[in-house]
Formats: sequence, structure tokens, C-alpha cells
Amino acid sequence: MEKPDTKNRLLVELKQVTKAYAPQKRWFARSSQPVLALNSIDLGIEHGEIFGLVGQSGSGKTTTGRLLAKLESPTAGEIYFDKTPISQLKGLHLKAYRSRVQMIFQDPYQSLNPHLSIAETVLEPLMVQQIGTADTRMEKVVHTLDLVGLSPGEAFCHRYPHQLSGGQRQRVAIARAIVLEPQFIVADEPTSMLDATIAIQLFKLLQEIKQTFGMTFLFITHNLAAARYMCDRIAVIHEGHIVEVNTADNIIRHPEHPYTKKLIKVQPGFKYGR
Amino acid sequence: MSLLSVENLSIGYQTKKGMLKAVDHIRFDLEEGDSLGFVGESGCGKTTIGMALMGLLPENAEILEGRIRFQGRDLVSLTEPQWRQVRGAKVAMIFQAAMNALNPVFPVDEQIKEAIVTHQPDISDTDLSERIKQLFDLVDIPLARMKNYPHEYSGGMKQRAVIAMALACNPALIIADEPTTALDVIVQDQILREIKTVQQKTRTGLIFISHDIAVVASVCERICVMYAGQIVETGTRKEVFKSPRHPYTQTLLGSYLSLDNLNDIKVPDMKESPDQLTDATECQFSGSCPSCDRKCAGMSPEWIEISPTHQAFCCNPGLIRRGHGKT
Repeated sequence: MEKPDTKNRLLVELKQVTKAYAPQKRWFARSSQPVLALNSIDLGIEHGEIFGLVGQSGSGKTTTGRLLAKLESPTAGEIYFDKTPISQLKGLHLKAYRSRVQMIFQDPYQSLNPHLSIAETVLEPLMVQQIGTADTRMEKVVHTLDLVGLSPGEAFCHRYPHQLSGGQRQRVAIARAIVLEPQFIVADEPTSMLDATIAIQLFKLLQEIKQTFGMTFLFITHNLAAARYMCDRIAVIHEGHIVEVNTADNIIRHPEHPYTKKLIKVQPGFKYGR
Repeated sequence: MSLLSVENLSIGYQTKKGMLKAVDHIRFDLEEGDSLGFVGESGCGKTTIGMALMGLLPENAEILEGRIRFQGRDLVSLTEPQWRQVRGAKVAMIFQAAMNALNPVFPVDEQIKEAIVTHQPDISDTDLSERIKQLFDLVDIPLARMKNYPHEYSGGMKQRAVIAMALACNPALIIADEPTTALDVIVQDQILREIKTVQQKTRTGLIFISHDIAVVASVCERICVMYAGQIVETGTRKEVFKSPRHPYTQTLLGSYLSLDNLNDIKVPDMKESPDQLTDATECQFSGSCPSCDRKCAGMSPEWIEISPTHQAFCCNPGLIRRGHGKT
């Protein structure tokens, strides 16, 4: 990162970011130490890449995603988006930031509001950001639904989340995230609740979206194989530390950190495979 | 005689839409000390089979036809008091959510003792504590942690404790329903080894249910692939994974991401699997099948034998026998 030319291409940069969760206060318990979810991590995500963050449960990968979507704030350190520090963003600036950064959550059964129809769900970001007129918004919604494979879009507009399968719900969540055409999307384990045949179709969809809009992705997963399939570069995170960052191919073929080696060794595969 | 033999089993759920078939004319056998894996996607009926074998089907479920013979005894006709003699003692289950399978207010060793005392009320205290120690040894939990409460255990240790509990009465058959789905890969790897070694040591029959084909491949000798309530392919691990014949098995294998097959990934065009009404006999997979061009829609599939241990359920014998290349 010493070279200025690579630095210019960074869209997102985390500098010495630490996130500590204070323990819950209880009446009779002794006060305990805060839990360090992220311990002074440095990370740079380049324009137009799919960057993978791989780790076990509790390693801090979801925390990183939530910090980037500004759902939480770091305890120490600073996050830069397009060279602007995001910790001080408030009011209209924060609203503008939200239109540029979107998130896809893990569980499509919980991340959609059951009271809102599919059209309303995808429409909401446009209303909040006051983009277009009522007609153009609706057009945009239908177009986006078509784009994520819920076609014809009109047919899905008036359905509710409970009428859709898990894969379709996750497509709605993707539509909601891309309807504003953000620059950066945080996808937090978007397929871990779905079957393999559905997951692979969503991976393909995310890649198509990336091609169409030139978005940058942070792809959070515990599945190293999925990360390799999807990502240009991968960072391995372990107990709040980034232990290794490399291109997807290199990290699998030439892992350096013992933890990465261990992760590769335990990935399920076929003993009698192809 | 086999330990477990299931013939022509169909199970339906009474719903608002009428009777929906979750399991459709399933047949399989399990020899003593053998392991059989069921793999399929959500809603294919694999858990329903596990629940039927444990006598734990929910109230709106009904065994429509077929027999489950276990050690020469028909399980379908058992009454609840009779089930209590079997369940836990002869057939035991390892559940998916180990965190919910343990009682938070009792120490772990007490809970395992309870399982033993329920089925062997006359056991002496020395025999009981000896047995508990053996069990903790078997699943590699340090004896010092025996008297801990569940919340003091990690996720992996809880799952081991649940395995110990399942083994408590030396059952002849263990049903493991997605035992590692809630765990991350490193712990999953340990638990799978644990289940395999324990199963081989104790010569217990094992039914292993999972949506993850690689997990099933690492544990089971024989595999049944399920789609929409039916077994579509069955064979040894080697047969099913090395030369899958049914188009669905090929789709499943072709879309499974592992570290060494990235170039072979095929993105399938899968429809949601259909809800089944009781009288459906046609091929359930024809809507998503990449091989048949919907020619099979409405046709009834039949069992096609590739080898004595390897069969597939399809409308197109030529296709299955040719094998048309590996995925």
C-alpha cells in the first residue's frame, strides 16, 4: 500500500479499526472485560473488485460488514469511503452515504418486513432517497425485479415475503440493495441459509450484477470454496485479526498462515471425487 | 436379516391444501453396523424419514402406507408406551441444534445419567458412573468437565455431549439429522470424525441426514439421494459420487462448491420442487431436469439397475445406463 497509484484505487479503507463490545452490566456479576470483536485491523478494498472476508463464527467478519454499512461505529480507528472518513457523517451526508453503500443480510426469512409487499420493500429505498416520481419509481422497481430473476417483475410486486421461497426472498433482498445502484455492497453470508443449487444461482446473479453496474462487493462467508468462486481477493480473519490477504487463487494454492492452512484442510470435499 | 428395513413407506402431512405427500414410496435396508446417508435439499422429506424412524412425527403427519421393520418388529403399529421402550434404548437420535437438545439447568452428566436410568432402572451407582466415564471417554470430553452445565461448553462440546447421550443405552441404530449444520467448518470436521470413529467402534447402524453432499460423503458407506419425497438414486458412496446417473444427482454434484472443482461448476436452472398431492406418480424432477427436455413430463419413473448396489429412479433407462459422462 506504499505506492500512491494503488492507494488511489481504494474505494474502502479501514485503518487500525478496533471494535469492542462492552459486556452487559449485571447486578451481581463482577464487571468483566469488553469483548474485542476486531483488533486494530487494516484493510483496503479496491474499486470494482469482489473482496472476500472468510472466517469462523465469532471471528469478527460480520462486525466488519456492519461497520462498513455504518450500522455500528468503531471503538477506535477510522474507515474511509472514497477517501472520506465516515465516522463523522451525520444528517444529509449520512443519508447520501446510505445511498452509496447497501447491505444484503444472511437470513432472508428475517431481513424482509412481512407487512410490506415485494414492491413496497424494493420501493422503500427510492422513497427514502426521494428519487424520481411515483411512476418512474415503480418502473424502476419492476425493472430491478426482472434483473434479479424475479420475472415478470409485475407478477411479484403484490406478493408478500411469506409467499416466496428462501431463494426468491434473497433475490428480493438483492433487489432492494441494488435498486439505488450503490457503489458498494456488503453481502453478509447471503447464501448460507439456502440449498447448494439455489446458492450457486445467486452467486451467478451477484456476478452479473457486478458486471452490469461495476459495483464493488464485500463478500462475507465462512465457506472458503464459495469465496474462491466469487472473489478477486480474499482476507482471512481469525479472532479479530486479519491473518492473511491475497488473491483468491494464491490464498488457496499457497496459504502462508497456519490458520488458513487449517481452514483449507477441513473444507469438506469428495474423497471419491471427480 | 437386516437391522432396519423400510418398505414402500409413504408419509403425508394434513394441510389446508389437503394431504401433501412428504415421503413417497421409500424403500431401503440397513445392515447392522452399516451407515446410510440421506442427502437432498430442504423440503425433500429427509427429516420426515428420520422422525418416522424415531416415532416423533408431528400430529398432522400420517403414515399412509408401508412398513418399517426394525430388528424384526414393525415400528409403524407401535403405540406410544411401546415407543418409549424403543426410543432412546434401541433407536437414538442426534439432533441438529445441540444447544437446544440439552437442558440448561442440569449438569451434563446428570442428563446422560437420566437417559440410562430411564431404560435401566436397576443399574447400580458404580455401574452407572463407570458407564458415564466410558461415554465421556468415547466422545473425547475431558472427565473434569463432566459436571459442567451446558452453557459452560462450547458448541462442539455440546454436540459431543449429545452424541454421548445418544450412545448412552448402546442403541442398535442412531439417526443423525444434520448434526453439524450449526457448527463452523473446523468443529464440523472434528464432529464428523467423532461420529465416524464412534460408529465404527460400537458397530451401531447409522442413518445420517444432511443437505451437504460432501458431509454425507465423508461419513457414509451408502447414499440415498432424495428429491421431492422420493429416493432418486441409491448406491455406495463411490458409485454415487464417482458416476452419478440420475440427472438430479448430477445437478447437485455439479453445483456443489469445493476447493478443487471450480472449473466444473454448472449453474443449474432449478425450479422450486413441486408440492405433491397424494396421487402423483409422474416424474417430479421433469420440470428442472437438464437431460429430458420435459419429454418425461407426466411419465412414471421406474427403478433402473446399474449394478446390484446402484440404482436410479428415472423415466429414461437408456440415459441412466449410458451414464452420459461424469459431472
